[in-house]
Amino acid sequence: MPYSKEDLRDLYDGRLPWHKTFEIMSKPKDDDRFDKYVEILQERVPWLERILLPLGEHLYVVDKAGERIVKCDCGHEFGDWRQNWKLNALIFARDDTEKLEEIYPGLKCPDPNLCEVREFYCPGCGSLLKVEAVPVGYPIIFDALPDLDSFYREWLGRPLPDEKEFRDMTYQVTREWGRDIA
Amino acid sequence: MSERKGIGEGGKTLKQMMEENERLYRETGCYAGITEPYLLKEDPVKSELFHSRIMASLMAGRETTRMISASPFVREVAELCLGFYTADGASIAQSTGIQAHIMPMGECIQWMIKQNYEQDVGINEGDLFIANDPVIAGMHPADVYDMLPIFWEGELVGWVCTVIMEMDIGAVSPGCMPTANAERGSDGLRFCCEKWGANDLLRRDFELKIELSLDMADMFLLNRKGAIAANIRVREEVKNIIREFGLDYYKRATRELIEEERRNQLARVRQRTVPGRYRDVVPVELNMAKQPISWLPANQDTIRLIPIQTDILPSGRLVLDFEGTGEWGWHPFNGTPTGLRGCFSTVLTQTISYDGRSNLGTLLACEIKEPAVDSLLNPSEIKRLATADPWAAIFDLFGLWQSMLGIAYYLRGFREETFNWRSGAGWQMAGYDALGTKRPLLAAETGAFGPGATGVGDGCDCGGWIATQLVDMGNAEVWELFVPQLEMTRRFEPYSTGYGKFRSGVALASVMMLHRITQTVASGAIGTASDGIIPNLGQFGGYPGGKRNTLLVRYDNLQELIENRQPLLHELGHPAEWKDRIQGQVTNMGLIPPPIPVYDGDVLVTDTTSAGGLGDPIEREPRRIKADLDEGFATDWMARNIYCVDVIFNEMTEEWQIDEAATSKLREAKRKERLSRGVPVEQWWQKSRQRLMDRNLDGKILEMYQSSMRLSEAFTQEFKDFWALPDDFNL
Repeated sequence: MPYSKEDLRDLYDGRLPWHKTFEIMSKPKDDDRFDKYVEILQERVPWLERILLPLGEHLYVVDKAGERIVKCDCGHEFGDWRQNWKLNALIFARDDTEKLEEIYPGLKCPDPNLCEVREFYCPGCGSLLKVEAVPVGYPIIFDALPDLDSFYREWLGRPLPDEKEFRDMTYQVTREWGRDIA
Repeated sequence: MSERKGIGEGGKTLKQMMEENERLYRETGCYAGITEPYLLKEDPVKSELFHSRIMASLMAGRETTRMISASPFVREVAELCLGFYTADGASIAQSTGIQAHIMPMGECIQWMIKQNYEQDVGINEGDLFIANDPVIAGMHPADVYDMLPIFWEGELVGWVCTVIMEMDIGAVSPGCMPTANAERGSDGLRFCCEKWGANDLLRRDFELKIELSLDMADMFLLNRKGAIAANIRVREEVKNIIREFGLDYYKRATRELIEEERRNQLARVRQRTVPGRYRDVVPVELNMAKQPISWLPANQDTIRLIPIQTDILPSGRLVLDFEGTGEWGWHPFNGTPTGLRGCFSTVLTQTISYDGRSNLGTLLACEIKEPAVDSLLNPSEIKRLATADPWAAIFDLFGLWQSMLGIAYYLRGFREETFNWRSGAGWQMAGYDALGTKRPLLAAETGAFGPGATGVGDGCDCGGWIATQLVDMGNAEVWELFVPQLEMTRRFEPYSTGYGKFRSGVALASVMMLHRITQTVASGAIGTASDGIIPNLGQFGGYPGGKRNTLLVRYDNLQELIENRQPLLHELGHPAEWKDRIQGQVTNMGLIPPPIPVYDGDVLVTDTTSAGGLGDPIEREPRRIKADLDEGFATDWMARNIYCVDVIFNEMTEEWQIDEAATSKLREAKRKERLSRGVPVEQWWQKSRQRLMDRNLDGKILEMYQSSMRLSEAFTQEFKDFWALPDDFNL
């Protein structure tokens, strides 16, 4: 069952009345959701590049002159979508009790010998894009690497121009950093 | 010599039927080789009626059990579930309840078939089979399966199974899912798909065995009778259905229900998600060093990693891979492939295949890659191991896995389906109850968990747990009859929250004062393996809830407080200050408290914490913060420090007020602070890499990585790739 863009806008903003939200949750899903979703988001961003896929509360994969890059709604660009965008963010690692207790006081505080709470900020606007709670030393997680071409070609039935190879290119960045050290 | 006639379709043996179905699936990719389902489509009303009749019988069977059983786990909590299966053990339909057991019960049927039960043990109308051995299939021994074959004119045409969680399975004290155990024998009774009755009746020798073996034999036997009644009720209704619809329709329709569900699951994934690769990690903390166990190799604390990769394929198939999982250990928290399938099935049933049609077809549309042999999820020594608590790791795993599916929903625009789960841990006891009977004393707490935020609003307060849809744990007064304790609180704990633009649901703390106990021992009961490392449940800028705690409070002045009618502990308050309010001893017992003696007046506290918030907390609408403050779901500390909102309490109107101009300034200042103290990731990476190169990590963390590297070259390579470590470097 299709829903109006107005209802979907309110849904995403958390302003839709609960009975309507519940209806959307429990009824069969609407097939035109993705296109309306992207239209709503495209209307909200201040830039013109076409949104190919939302990646989070502020991030999108966009088509920029044939390249597919991750972009914040403030305009900051994070590079190719096949490289973990977090590597191009600012990080604040809560790695001692003092920093952890700013969020988790007293009993709630994780053990800084074991746990690190990493906050990734957009360098453009200072938005908190992701909080990552992991064991100390664990590689930064590449949460989602969408298979854009399969999605557009096989699920939406409208292939994207200039198909790109679907592979994780994050380690190109870290290897380069490693070479800088050497 | 002529081959013995089988009890399956057309005189086949059940084994022949199972092998044929497996072959047809391999060859066609469709369940039972049904490449062109037609029957259910030909007459949709008839097929809907057919399915509804089956579902109604399962739900009625479930309620029947609750009327017969005496255990509060069954009567109050409905900690049970019914499944209906084909002759060769394929799940067709299931009731609500603890659905993680639906797939394992089918696997028990298939195990009996593979072991030649048809010829060597005998499967007849009215035979009663019982199982609770996770080595065959299942989660842990406290969950007991009763299985009943369904015959029609001499042919076995299906099975009905009921699972019930037992309060006592004869395990080593304390509890029915003891944490202070490592070896198989300490789990209590194990039933290996045994025939324990015939002609719908329990065998007397079985009853005598139970009476001798269990402290709570009466509960256990009443549960069996409840399960038998439920199974018989379903069996008779299935016969009515066959009479009404015809045997041919019944056989074809039950198989088409499975194939239809397989196709529907693929279609749902294609409609609601985005193909690609999704990754996360679950650290599992296994604190056994202080446990009093005679098998000395068990006495060590370890941490294990479970990396999760979910590939959503263009076909719609979900593929789960746990490459890099660390090694198994001598403790009761190891998982099994069958446990993974069971828990995966219940997660799917609750979140994507929730139209009442979930069955084997849901899982056929997915794949769980077999975890490495000798990993935490696939120990080669499983037959020798205690298996009382695999939930600890598996709940954490699938609670987080739900985040991964949630991201895929979010990307596609179905933000209302994005959320995650967090489980908890608490206390269990053994000793003499208020009536003078020695027994395990495991109480369930009111659904205390706070599930994660959705992409369109706050999480449901006190409203969701991975194991069951039913988070109402029943009446405290009934639990107080069974367990010698007084429940001291029903207050939401604001500090349980996972903060975010949309916050997690708020959890309840459990505070129980022991009352009229003698010779009682308490220890941990755990459904999570998260202790010093909080789970990675924050979504898109939201935070996960903080550390959870198990606490023991001993007042110095309990009698004085009671006599003076002063308040006792009924809320925790600020996590850094609450202890100051208590005159007495407060002990943080860690994730897995070792057994200790407890006494009347002791207060056992379970400080439960919630799953994850979603979105940047400083984007939370002030109106939501005001509402939370007014309801007691947030504090002014949170408003100022987490949400950056300027609030003041109006004594006249007794409500909180927000200064919007001051709030804007606070939020702008927070952004500036982030930009100032955040550093480029490369800078952080170099510092962290040097720390690794120096092996300057906690010993348990180092051993955790070494354990994963011992089992997985792929994990080792990726770890080295990320940190650009030399090929010859070893942690």
